[in-house]
Order: sequence, then structure tokens, then C-alpha cells
Amino acid sequence: MSDTSLKSSVLTRRDFIATGAKLSAAVLAAPYIMRGQAATRGDAINVALIGCGEQGRVLLNAAIKIPNLRFRAVCDIWPYNRTYGERLLKKFGHDVRPFEDYREMLSAVPDIDAVIVATPDFVHAEHTNAALRAGKHVYCEKLMAHTVEAARSMVLTARETGKLLQIGHQRRSNPRYLHAKEKLIKDARLLGRITNASGQWNRAVSDDLGAPANHVLSEAKLNQYGYANMHEFRNWRWFKRYAGGPISDLGAHQIDIFNWVLGSNPRSIIAGGGADYYTTHEWYDNATAIYEYPTPEGLVRATYGVLTTTSAGGGYHEYFMGDEGALKISENPKYTKLYREARAPEWDQWVEKGLIAKPESGEGAPPPVKAWEKPRAKLSTGPARGSVVDVRETAELSAWDIPVTLDKAIHQPHLENFFDAIRHGTPLNCPAESAFATAVTVLGVNRAIAAQKMLTFAPEDFVV
Amino acid sequence: MTWETFHHEAMATDFAIYIAGHPADYARQAATACWRELDRLENELSRFLPTSDISRINRLARGETTVIGEDVLQCLILAANVTIATHHAFDPAYASQHASTEPEPAVPFTLDPDTHTLTSQVQKLHLDLGAIGKGYALDVLAQTLADWQITTACLQSGGSTALILDAPEGWAGWTIGVGDDDNRREVTLTRAALSGSGVAVKGQHVRDPRTRQAAPRQSRVWALAETAALSDALSTAFFVLSDDEVAAFCEAHPDVGAAISRPGKPLAVHGSLHRYLAP
Repeated sequence: MSDTSLKSSVLTRRDFIATGAKLSAAVLAAPYIMRGQAATRGDAINVALIGCGEQGRVLLNAAIKIPNLRFRAVCDIWPYNRTYGERLLKKFGHDVRPFEDYREMLSAVPDIDAVIVATPDFVHAEHTNAALRAGKHVYCEKLMAHTVEAARSMVLTARETGKLLQIGHQRRSNPRYLHAKEKLIKDARLLGRITNASGQWNRAVSDDLGAPANHVLSEAKLNQYGYANMHEFRNWRWFKRYAGGPISDLGAHQIDIFNWVLGSNPRSIIAGGGADYYTTHEWYDNATAIYEYPTPEGLVRATYGVLTTTSAGGGYHEYFMGDEGALKISENPKYTKLYREARAPEWDQWVEKGLIAKPESGEGAPPPVKAWEKPRAKLSTGPARGSVVDVRETAELSAWDIPVTLDKAIHQPHLENFFDAIRHGTPLNCPAESAFATAVTVLGVNRAIAAQKMLTFAPEDFVV
Repeated sequence: MTWETFHHEAMATDFAIYIAGHPADYARQAATACWRELDRLENELSRFLPTSDISRINRLARGETTVIGEDVLQCLILAANVTIATHHAFDPAYASQHASTEPEPAVPFTLDPDTHTLTSQVQKLHLDLGAIGKGYALDVLAQTLADWQITTACLQSGGSTALILDAPEGWAGWTIGVGDDDNRREVTLTRAALSGSGVAVKGQHVRDPRTRQAAPRQSRVWALAETAALSDALSTAFFVLSDDEVAAFCEAHPDVGAAISRPGKPLAVHGSLHRYLAP
């Protein structure tokens, strides 16, 4: 708020001395502090986190903003990560206990209701199955496992225990993706007959992550938990024994969206790729796949490419192309657009119904321009009266926006869906059975690259 | 003097880290850890990302409350400190709007550190951490470097804020340029942060929160403080305050320094910058 007394008087040393306490001390901010302004917690769900590394931190920072969760434990074999999680949660008032071994955590803190698993792929099944068998509901990061058999075991364990298992394909809970799938593609049929889909994710070159010199784990400790050494522990995504490669790390999110939007699993795959750039990676740094999806309306061909050698200008998106329109969609709203084919009926009715927005008006629109930032009006003249058209450069295709905003961290809605399922019985947006089909689809890329030929899927391949 | 230099784009500008006294590979790994942390911070602090805490805050109606992350909470407490200490010459919420039918609230938002929540006290809250967020980020990155036992480093954001850590062995400190091209000086600093504000790059972009008009100052100003968040915010405040007010502020806050360029004259130096910029 403006201090009107300042507009006409000069501040003196005396004025500043009145607030001359040390600037970094929070006492100065007292007028801005109002304790007790938020509602007290009600019936809370007790939560534990296994894996406090990079993805665990992402999930933790999203989950701490969800009401009525009480974190009770964090687990990580690396004290450096574990301490991060413990400290952050304590700042938010959670009485949390740290553990190195998940088995000890599950037995020592029996009142845990739900476990978030954010460990490397090769231990997803071990951690998830143990938590399910201990009677916990589980949210496990994608890809649900690095092998089809490990993924199958997770589905079976969830089924046997009757506990919920949500897999972290978080786009399925993103309100913009839900709107696009249900309202735009299914109800309004804005794309018409979808004939093709594509997706890509390019990531710039990344170096050996290394570790702070005073936080290096002993090899004996690493061996105990299945890692060969600190280098492989820190760069587990590069190695086949721990992970499924970039197609699993990045591609899984988008290939999952192919299956989800098309409502189908592929019948075949052909793929190429290799470790063309890195000499230190076992997994491919460049992979491209072509799927064939049978749908009730006909075949959809889908291409997917992932690179870990260039950001190529940035950007990652999925693209669904139909005979009446195309949808380019991404977690980043600035890469999201709808395009109408000239042969399609006008879309004005969908604007009036609030399903789509005119160009530059939706979430991907640039931020509002302040008055002093607006360009000055230019003189212009319209077409001369009587002329049919002013012939100039080719006009750009109209790009329409989706008027749906995700106003929280991108993983938060998916976590909320999981906790709503526990609390209210809300259906999971990515239950284990569905994520299993995605795992089969994604891991098929690696199989096809190794086979160097087209592979086919049978419908039963996607079912446990 | 030799050091390793690493760059990264974030928060619509270029960040750089200069590390001395460590093997190049180790320094690169530490810098990579910093850049990952910086990207995370941008996701929390940027008003241009709809998923950020700040964007969500800016959608709140009067009386509405939202949960905020630890970094946004700490950054806002610091911002509130500087707002009060400068009598609103710095105010990241100055563009907020309150209903004309209601009395103006004492503050546009309130914070509850116990629950990590922010409540809007105005009809349309408009928070912009552009004049403190990059400095705050540098302070956080220095903590990441400390995790890696790296303290002999200098960090900068956008060429407008430098956070100087320890001097490498045998050095007096990190040398930083201050002043205009025709009146340039150098300061050798350790454990300090220096920020500049001017009109050369973005034109008359700094608004005086007290009048909502463009600040009339045409010359550059610099602020020296203990942390980069403070120097970043204070350089914006000093750009808005008059020369006499800047001098008075530095008298009241001995840990703070200021420099003001004056056409055809030596830099005007105040407060703790006297130690480094003797006439």
C-alpha cells in the first residue's frame, strides 16, 4: 500500500532509524504477519515418502500444499537427500521421522496411511509391493517399473491387498488435459477423425551429476541397496540395470497420453535409436518410435521422439491431428494450441459455450500488458471500399486457446486425486492396471530398437 | 586469477557462477546442482508461470488464503522488511488494487509462517518479485554451493546483482566493476552483495510505488548489502529515493552501502561502500 505521507516529504535519517533494525530480521515485517489465519487441520491422512531425491522433492513440494496431510516419515538411503525432506517438512510443522531403510520405516511407524514412492525405477516394485503388503495405499512415480514383469507384480499386489495404487502419469489429472480429452475431443469432436498423433521431448546435454565431496556414500552401503557405486547411484537413469532410459524417463509421460486420449493400446511398434552421443551412457540418447493404434474410427499412427542431446529450442508436447482440427498440448501452457481446419464447421459456438477461447486469450496468452508498456497505436487503413481482399502475406492459421488454467504445481492435482480416492473413494486417474498398459507400450520401444524390426502387440499383452 | 564460469538462463535473464579453487569437473557438477535449484525456484517465484505460487497469489480475491512454499514465504518476509524499512520506496505489491468502497487495509497481504499461508487483504493483489527474486535465488544457490563445500565463488544474475562469497586463497576478494563507463571504479569484495539499477537496458522501467509513476531518476544507483536479496531490493528502492534519502538510509543502516552516478562528477558514495570506494 502506498504511504501518502511520503509523496510530499523527504525521508530523513530519523525516519529510517524508526525502522532501523537489522534488515534481515523478520521483526520489521510484523504488520504483514498474522498467525492463525488458516483453518486448523481436520482428519488428516498420514503419509510417508520413500525417495527424497529430485523427483521426491518435486512431489514433496507439491504435497505439502495439500490440506489435511500429515507427513510422518521420510526414507532415503542417502542422508543428504533424507535431511532435505526432513528439514522441509519440519518447517511446515510436520513431526516427521527419518529412515534409511523402508522396511524399518514401515514397521516403526505403523499409523502411515499412504506412501509416496519416488525412488529409481528398478526398486519401484520392491518399495510399492512392500508398502501395499503393509496395508498402505501407494502413489508411485512413473514409469511404474523398468520391466514388464515388475510392473505386473505391482498390479497383482494391489489387487491382492485391495489397496489403492496410483502411478504418477500426472497429465491425466491436469485440468487442461482433462478438458481437452473429455470436452474438446470426445464431446465437441473438434478434431473430427484423428488420423495421427506425435510427441517429442528434447532435453539438453547433461553432465555427470556428481555429489558433494562430504556426502559420498560408501560402496558397501551402496551395494547393500543394489547400486554398484556412487557414480551409478547418482546417474542411475543412464544404466540399464536401474532404469528404462529416456523413453521411460521422458517419453512415458507422453506415450501414456497417446493411450489415454486415443482410448486404445497399440497393435504394433517399430523403433530406432542408440547411444549415439554419450560414451558414458548405456541407454539410448536418441530414440524414435512409430506406433499403430487401432481405434473404433480407424487406425491412428503415432510417432514419438526423445533426445537427450539437445533442447532444440526447448519445448515438449503431444500433438493430435484430425481431419477437422488439431490439438497441440503440453504441460507448459505456452505450447498448447488448437487449430481448426478450413473444412470444419466454425468454432464460434464453442467459444460462446466456454470450451475454447479466441487466440491470445487463454492460459497460454502473454501476461497482461501494463498501460505504460502498450505500443502506441499505428495509423492504418482498412481495405478500400469495394475491394474483395487486400492481397498481402499468407495469413497464419488461427490458433485457439484452451480456457482452463492449472494454478498449482503440475503434480499437485494428481496427488490430490490420489488422496481424494483414499478419503472419498474418488476413482483414481491412473490406476495400476491402466499404467501397466502404458508400461508395456513404453518398454516396447526398447524391445523394438533391440530387435531392429516391427513388433506386434496382442490385446492380452496389456492386461494383467 | 583463474576460475571456472558457468551460465544458465532463468527468470528471463542470464545467471552465472564463477568458482575458483576447485577442480573443473567438481565445479561443473556443483553448478549443475545450482541450476536445478534455480529452475525449481523459478517455478515457485515467477509471476509469468501460471502454476507458480505467485501466479496463484495474484488470483486471490480479498480474504482468500492459499498455501505457499518455503521459498515464497521467506522471500515475501524479506520483501515486507524492505518495504517497511524503505517506507514503500520498494514495494512488490504496490500495483495491488483495493475496493474504493472500503477503507484501505494496512497491508495488502498477510502471512502466517506457522501454516505457510498467505491471505489477500485487497480486492486484487498484484505481487511481482522481479526486484528481489533473482537476488533471493542467488542467496539460495550460495547455500547449494556450501553443501558442496564451495565458498570461493561469485554468483551473478542478469549483470545487475553479484553475490560475492569467500576470496580464493591468496586473493583479497572478487573484483567487481561499479560506475558508468566514463566513471568506472572497481571494488574488491568478500561476503557481500552488490546490485545496480538504471535505465540503460530496460529504459524507464522502475515505478515509484508511492506515486505509481515512473521514477524520475536518470542516473544509475548501486546498493551493497549482506545478502543478494537485500541488495537487489535496495537497489530498486535507491533508484526511487532521492540522493539525500539514500544517504539518510545508509546512515540509519550501517551495514548498507550505496553509490550514485552523477554526470561529470565522481560517484556519490554512502554507508558501507565507503570502505571500498574511498574518494
